[in-house]
Amino acid sequence: MIEVDKLKTYANKLMFDMSNEEYLVLQKEFDTILKHMDIIDNLEGIDFVEPMTFPFDIDIDLIDDDTIESLSVEEAFRNAKSTRNNRLQVPKVVS
Amino acid sequence: MSMLETHITYDEAVSRAKKYQDRYNSFVTIIDDYQNENSGILKGIPYALKDNLSTKGIITTASSNMLKDYIPSFDATVYEKLKASGAMLVGKTVLDELAMGGTGTTGHTGIVKNPWDEKRMIGGSSSGSASAVALGIVPFAIGSDTGDSIRKPASYAGVVGFKPTYGRVSRYGLFAFASSLDHVGCLTRNVLDSAIVIDTIKGHDKHDLTSLLDDDKSYRDLIKNDINGKKGFYLKEIIESIDSDEILDCFNKNLKSLKDLGVDISEVSIDKNLLRAIYPAYITISSAEATSNNSNLTGLLFGPREEQPSFDKIMMHQRTIGFSNLIKRRFVLGSYVLQKENQEKLFLNAQRIRRMVVNKINELFKQYDFYILPATSSIAPLFDDEIDRLSDKYLIAENHLVIGNFGGYPSITIPNGFVNKMPIGINITSRQKEDEVALSIAYHLEQTMNYKDQIAGDERV
Amino acid sequence: MNVYKVVIGLETHCELNTKKKVFSNSNNIYSQSPNTNISAIDLGFPGILPVLNKESVVKALQVAIALNSKIPAKLTFDRKNYYYPDLPKGYQITQSKYPIGEEGYALIDIDGETRKVLIHDIHLEEDSASLDHVGDSTLVDYNRAGVPLIEIVTEPCLNSSSEAVAYLESLRNMLLYLDVSEARADRGQIRCDVNVSLMKDTDTKLGTKVEMKNINSFANVKDAIDAEVNRQREALDKGEAIIQETRRYDEITKTTHRMRDKVESIDYKYFTEPNIPDISLKIDFISSVKTNLPILPYDRKKKYLELGISLVDANTLVRQKDISDYFNQILGEGIEAKTACNWIISVVISYLNKTFTDIKNLSLTPKMLSEVIKLVESSKISGKQGKELLTKSLEDNIDPIEIFNKSNMTQITDIGEITNIITKIIDANLNLVEDYRKGKNVFNFFIGQVMKETKGTVNPKIASDILKQELDKR
Repeated sequence: MIEVDKLKTYANKLMFDMSNEEYLVLQKEFDTILKHMDIIDNLEGIDFVEPMTFPFDIDIDLIDDDTIESLSVEEAFRNAKSTRNNRLQVPKVVS
Repeated sequence: MSMLETHITYDEAVSRAKKYQDRYNSFVTIIDDYQNENSGILKGIPYALKDNLSTKGIITTASSNMLKDYIPSFDATVYEKLKASGAMLVGKTVLDELAMGGTGTTGHTGIVKNPWDEKRMIGGSSSGSASAVALGIVPFAIGSDTGDSIRKPASYAGVVGFKPTYGRVSRYGLFAFASSLDHVGCLTRNVLDSAIVIDTIKGHDKHDLTSLLDDDKSYRDLIKNDINGKKGFYLKEIIESIDSDEILDCFNKNLKSLKDLGVDISEVSIDKNLLRAIYPAYITISSAEATSNNSNLTGLLFGPREEQPSFDKIMMHQRTIGFSNLIKRRFVLGSYVLQKENQEKLFLNAQRIRRMVVNKINELFKQYDFYILPATSSIAPLFDDEIDRLSDKYLIAENHLVIGNFGGYPSITIPNGFVNKMPIGINITSRQKEDEVALSIAYHLEQTMNYKDQIAGDERV
Repeated sequence: MNVYKVVIGLETHCELNTKKKVFSNSNNIYSQSPNTNISAIDLGFPGILPVLNKESVVKALQVAIALNSKIPAKLTFDRKNYYYPDLPKGYQITQSKYPIGEEGYALIDIDGETRKVLIHDIHLEEDSASLDHVGDSTLVDYNRAGVPLIEIVTEPCLNSSSEAVAYLESLRNMLLYLDVSEARADRGQIRCDVNVSLMKDTDTKLGTKVEMKNINSFANVKDAIDAEVNRQREALDKGEAIIQETRRYDEITKTTHRMRDKVESIDYKYFTEPNIPDISLKIDFISSVKTNLPILPYDRKKKYLELGISLVDANTLVRQKDISDYFNQILGEGIEAKTACNWIISVVISYLNKTFTDIKNLSLTPKMLSEVIKLVESSKISGKQGKELLTKSLEDNIDPIEIFNKSNMTQITDIGEITNIITKIIDANLNLVEDYRKGKNVFNFFIGQVMKETKGTVNPKIASDILKQELDKR
């Protein structure tokens, strides 16, 4: 079982948090899935199989196209809650 | 009768949508003043779009609080094509939040009830689309299918649900769940209408690098081709894992009907371990891709945003209150399996299972043209009775539809009976890029039954 | 005090000068107005999908080939996942597993010696948005989001700050020759991350490396390395351990400061980009890119040396591609290499330097210059006359041949005429004839007088021969 503290760290790295009850639910889910993945790890021949990203080979040609696409600033910021001087505004980023 | 010959008018559709909205909750947004001057094959036909398809100027929420006020600045390619065809958008339908669910209960505007029995779910994630079609509000609705999200609710709702080959319909504008598994497809009340819809929305799109080149086929014509001589199979292990005799009865009746049409159906056995691996592999891959795909939802540029002292606090606050718990749990899993130290054993192994499954099916498809299976192992569950797809009971029985996403195979569910007054469905899946085969088998099978064009709710005959 | 070997690795990011961005169809053009070259894809709106613009791939391939790298059979991309306001999608599309170039090398000249700088890899990726800190806020400009970048990563094989800068200058010149980038540091089109570590000669492993990110000029690269080397040297001498971290270089104090723990402690969860299928890099495609590659500075310089040009002059000629091209065109007109070189350097380059003109804007074409050189070589005019023509041409913006034709300028070659002039001069300076006979060095005085008399238009060789003849007669 993965500790709740660890799960909390993972969640926080994804920029959110959950209630303690939810972490317990998550802990159980993790346990189930990881047990399944353990079984999978022991499947015969799995080590020799290439991981699959695409369902089949999609070999595409590179193309040169002249069309330029653009959005106006108004469209770009239509949903933005804070802008200034045609730019998105966020609290000062301290590096 | 295809919807081209007779269909509900746009005004009637809007009126029916409003009439059923409180009771069944099919829609996030109903559009009652839609204009479309284009003259195309679908002119005047009302339809619904799942609310994870981008519609410029029309709020699109993916049924998530993170997008509850989001108004897109561009159209999904599918929407552009439907506009060009003259179709009339009645509204954006409810889905499981961010398309990540299979119950129809996680959308931010509430649960979607099954029109055949309001105590039951309709499944998901294309819940509202299935419901809008089942209720007779629209003759077709667009949905998306990443693990079974069109084909399972279709079964629970007694309608036709078709997921074409991967890349057949452009994903540009579909809010991504798991990019390598996502498909855009449709729900209708008969197979011919599905063929017509896909004919209209398919096609190469330079905005989607995974989209297939035009196949220059007219599915609505090809489905009528004779299926005599076609060879199909069903998976023994899946049939054996289904408890319901009624479902198996309907299934066997269908096999007989197909045999009478000259179609040969064989039983094929497949490694149970491989079957058991499908759902865990699916959860792993889809959660990983979903976590990455939804990293743009932060509140900074769009979506609700509350000011905080730093950008990360804004993101943290927004993502904590904006995502439901199920989503968050999937994200944590998705992130975990991608971590450097875990990738080999988790994410990459899941991708290996995917290849093993697809290799096996492709091998079988050298001998056979399609496979056929009951779409679900039960009728739509009661809201209190969720199915745990990871449990031994359901691991093999309830997850075979995912194969259609792993391999991008064209796959269609059609209604094939009733059990305890609830509809059930049968699923037909054929080789990659041969969409017309799945469609034509389904079309001819549909003709042997009486579930075509059936409507639930008050309009039920 | 111990002696340490300095080990430096450089990661150079360079913006490509393609017409469009790499994964979107936005305009790729430098603009002072924020958010004017953006599209939905650059902003990471829900539902967007990447495209892949061919020009970016071609230019990245050109760099990979120019750096002698191994090219993979397929082009693939990966996602690098993290959260930051300049990264709208929450991930960057980059290449992690199979970069477009691997195990290459660059040949550079340092202090007259050729050095091979090993390149670990070259990969193609997209740039992030730009952040501007103003008061309590940070303002985001998405113009830069999605601009194609190539990242060129060296092995840790550079051993001094001057080597590092020599490499960077050579790399930049190569990029300009390839015409894949404007590579202007002042516009942020070329940026550098520097990794520095020290080791003793007796050490078998590399020392702990410290990273300095986003250094924005080559001068700062040199200073940053020097500052960091000093800091590490002092620390090691005291017996302190070096912490693996990211540091920032402060131009004003000329020291480095801790920024954060080394970026590697962040797990970016790389995985294959599922929206961009594998693209076969076919042999004919790579061959055509290879054949169309311009000849690069190092190889051009080699050729010039073979033609007898001095090292210093060869360096001058290749320093800018346009100058080298200009020179090549003069050679193309049939002019001998050393001659062409002398004329270009003494006339063209000195003019360009004096007037701060760019050779691209020079009115004097290679053909025009060649014509003048030919006039001099065929003794129609003297060298001095040739220079005059060119000076006037540059000043007045007129074809020098036109000036020549209008001016009736000719070189005096007629023996009779020259003999007359010389005779007159000798007669006017009989006292010096005596000195000449005694072996005193007065020849040059006489030549000077002949030149003065003819305003430099006499053929020097003929005049010299006749003068000797006449003097000997006396």
